[in-house]
Amino acid sequence: MSKTNNFVFWSLYVVAWLIFVGLSIEAGGLVVNFFVSLYKPEFVQNLYQKLDLTQMYRESRLAFFSIFSFILIISILKSCLFYIVIRLMHGMDLLKPFSVFVSRQILQISYYTLSIGLLSYIARQSAKKLVHHDFVPSNLNQFWADSQAFIVIGAVIYIIATIFKKGVDIQSENDLTV
Amino acid sequence: MPIIVNLDVMMARRKISLNELSERVDLTLSNLSILKTGKAKAIRFSTLESICRVLDCQPADILEYKNEDNNTSKPLVE
Repeated sequence: MSKTNNFVFWSLYVVAWLIFVGLSIEAGGLVVNFFVSLYKPEFVQNLYQKLDLTQMYRESRLAFFSIFSFILIISILKSCLFYIVIRLMHGMDLLKPFSVFVSRQILQISYYTLSIGLLSYIARQSAKKLVHHDFVPSNLNQFWADSQAFIVIGAVIYIIATIFKKGVDIQSENDLTV
Repeated sequence: MPIIVNLDVMMARRKISLNELSERVDLTLSNLSILKTGKAKAIRFSTLESICRVLDCQPADILEYKNEDNNTSKPLVE
């Protein structure tokens, strides 16, 4: 592999780490936000992203728990996705990339990306249904604005993973041909 | 796998070691070991040719077919 490619790979590895840390902090912040809005709703204004769903909690428990579950699951899935990306980049042998490990990781990445996309889409539709109520805050859309992008990327990664799996089979057959 | 590799039998008959065969056939020891232990998925005609030349034998002396499942399709010639 050329020096430029190696440099790009390691730069992406560092960027993936930074994104993972950021997403983990966001997921942690949202979990704290969830429990604070249950037990100490008056502190929500001082918390991460000022996501105040206390009015929703008072008016409709079902809407509150479903919307907050969507927000939490999506943010946790996003940090898990980047954890798998880091694991892939850490364990990948650039000289011999066609291994069962890499194939499995890419397949997992596609599953996570598709799950995030589909969940975001469902969440966005659910939030749209609740919009005629007064208790839906305006800053809610930021959590699932990129649902279609995730679905498209997930589908593309799934196709790549399938091709990669076939490549691993061919590689192992080639290795065992004398 | 129903294909059995009898390379070790032929090597014992010709009194040739794996190292010597590897040198004369121009194949790595690990590849010969894969072939000898029956882990190989395929064998090239060129490899088979050089093994047969060095061991002075026919491909049938090295490869053998043994039907493991008796319930499958019947052979064409009885």
